[in-house]
Amino acid sequence: MSALATIAFYLGVIAYSAASTLFFLELARQSVQASRSAWGPRVLAAGAVVHSVHIVVASLVLKRCPVESLHFGLSFSALVAVAAFLLLRRHANLDPMGVIVAPIALTFLVGAQFVGVDLEPEQLVSRPLLVSHVTANVLGLGLFVVAGASGLLYLLQERRLRDKRAGGVASRLPSLDALDRTTHRLLLGGFPLLTFGVVTGAIFSRQFDSFAGAALARTLFGFATWFLLAGVLVLRRLAGVRGRRAAYGTVAGVLCVLLVVLIYVVRPGGHS
Amino acid sequence: VISVVGLSHKSAPIEVRERFALPAERVPELLRSVVAHPAVGEALLVSTCNRVELVVAPRAGASLEAAAAACREALAALAPGAPASALYALTGGAAVRHLFGVAASLDSLVLGEPQILGQVKEAYEVAQRTGTVGSVLHRTLARAIRAAKHVRSGTAIGAGQVSVPSVAVDFARRIFGDLRGRTLLLVGSGEMAETVARSLLSSGARLLVIGRTPEKVRALAESFGGEPCAWNDLALALERADVVITSTSAPGFVVDPAHVASARKKRRGRSQFFIDLAVPRDVNPEIESLDGIFLYNVDDLSRVVAESLLTRGREAVQAQSIIDEEAKSFDRWADAEQATPLVVALRERIRGALRFELERSLRGRLRHLGAAEREALDTMLDAAVNRVLHEPTTRLRQAASVGDLDTPSFPELNSAIEHVFSLEGGRVSSDPLRSERPEREGASSVPRSGAAELEAASSDPLAVDLDAAADLSAGVSGSR
Repeated sequence: MSALATIAFYLGVIAYSAASTLFFLELARQSVQASRSAWGPRVLAAGAVVHSVHIVVASLVLKRCPVESLHFGLSFSALVAVAAFLLLRRHANLDPMGVIVAPIALTFLVGAQFVGVDLEPEQLVSRPLLVSHVTANVLGLGLFVVAGASGLLYLLQERRLRDKRAGGVASRLPSLDALDRTTHRLLLGGFPLLTFGVVTGAIFSRQFDSFAGAALARTLFGFATWFLLAGVLVLRRLAGVRGRRAAYGTVAGVLCVLLVVLIYVVRPGGHS
Repeated sequence: VISVVGLSHKSAPIEVRERFALPAERVPELLRSVVAHPAVGEALLVSTCNRVELVVAPRAGASLEAAAAACREALAALAPGAPASALYALTGGAAVRHLFGVAASLDSLVLGEPQILGQVKEAYEVAQRTGTVGSVLHRTLARAIRAAKHVRSGTAIGAGQVSVPSVAVDFARRIFGDLRGRTLLLVGSGEMAETVARSLLSSGARLLVIGRTPEKVRALAESFGGEPCAWNDLALALERADVVITSTSAPGFVVDPAHVASARKKRRGRSQFFIDLAVPRDVNPEIESLDGIFLYNVDDLSRVVAESLLTRGREAVQAQSIIDEEAKSFDRWADAEQATPLVVALRERIRGALRFELERSLRGRLRHLGAAEREALDTMLDAAVNRVLHEPTTRLRQAASVGDLDTPSFPELNSAIEHVFSLEGGRVSSDPLRSERPEREGASSVPRSGAAELEAASSDPLAVDLDAAADLSAGVSGSR
């Protein structure tokens, strides 16, 4: 059983690495001829399948529900990001986003191996609330990662258009309109999850003996992220703020999300 | 191997080229008349707006120069009185390099344009339907197409856009993606603006036309199937437009930041693309500071065109080296092909002798053998001939293609073998032992089918099977 989990893990690493390379080569290709087939997304999808197998089998071996563990949570959020990307690319030509999504999935899959299996507040909070909190965060993180990738590519494409440069990498990037729409949809999907995660996170923090240090920083960054992304959504809705400013806001918000995760991962005693 | 005779934008101005233009329905007639000439074995015509070229392979015994002269006559007959200097004639390696370069768009008016490869394929298909191509042009075209694909995949010869309208469409796509359902506003009129508008409309955009002269606006809108707008409605039209093309003769700015900011607010921040083709400019450049607003003037677009052309020019050097390499490889193949008639004759001689003896035995001591045994003996005979001739064939081909100072030259080997085996000019001389060469399935002097077969051959051009080559050579109606 554990051998199957290990094999699935290594296959996932290989598939994500290959997909990252394929996406990069496709973006950097010199020829103007369109590639005959989209191998990057296919390999990424194959990676997602073995990644799923790894999570299911490894969680059975360790007797841990995937959403009760940061180890699996991180890994699972990468899977969510990949799934979201693969679904969205069917509606618009978003393949170049794979150059960001695939390496991030690889990083999360490998990085999760260095994170402890148990959750810190396991003994302190109610199990259903904990499961809901982690599930919301895992799903939200996956969606925000793709939103961040989309926002970054928007800024890159916009910069190239402002510079009035033709050809090169930018000519193969998705259109500004597609990137803006994608970012917005992902934020809309991820924001309720973020809200739930922030609120439940704050509840957990209050239950700790000392509401200080890493927990405090986490909570503060959580709220800052919430305000930032709420601002992006509200300003778009009320004042039509989109495009570059929205992309900057999104990228900043996603960086805050990643910072919160990082603070959690490197908390004292939080890693194996 | 081939000759190319014709004229192009490099050798003749349009007034001369148009006299040589041939309607598509008359091309087969021309090709048939060309191959009717005793010096020409195969022919095809590459006819585009920038070139008219006859590509021919000479008949057996005829020289490349004679075939070229026949082409010159045929082309000259199309345009009596046209200056003879407009026509160029290339033969041998130069013709092969030229044809490869044409297919790879290195000889095009717009370097790297992609249409020429399709036009070359079309020329081949027409000639094939007419029945004027054989193994030589088939092989040559397959190599030309392979070389062109190699150039396109290995260089950036087709990178970027090389006309103002195509640059405008490219940028519009980078902003909006699909242009279907987008609204295009044409402010004023002008040849360039209308060309750009036409390009964008062909992608599925809707058109609004606005100008100071209502009659002109209505006429223009009608001609494009767009919606005319009154000049006073400019602000309203700006709100609706995703792409705005301006080309008025106004002395000052027609569109200013206040207009655009107001429209942008109503559009809830959706992007807008302004293409200012007027000189003096119609759009105040300050609008560029607004988020989601992109402004390109005629200089910006022209600069992109110039950059693309420069890039293509740089890539042409690398592309030319690819063409040279492909042409060299083709030359080697063509040289090796010199040995084919001799190999075929030698094979016939040996096989004929063996078959003669075998048939004699089958009528005598082996007459008791059944059909299966006889078939097995026949197969064994073929295998034996192949085995015996494998090494001599390889050496003959090597001698024909590369040559070596330490070994006899191909002409020496050729005459020696002809002498020893009583072969005449690569053919078996009259000989009582000679037997009929059995027909091979699928062997034909004419390639099997059009562009699909060309594609296949171009993807595996080195698969020059000895037997197939021998069969082709035996079957081709004297095109070498």
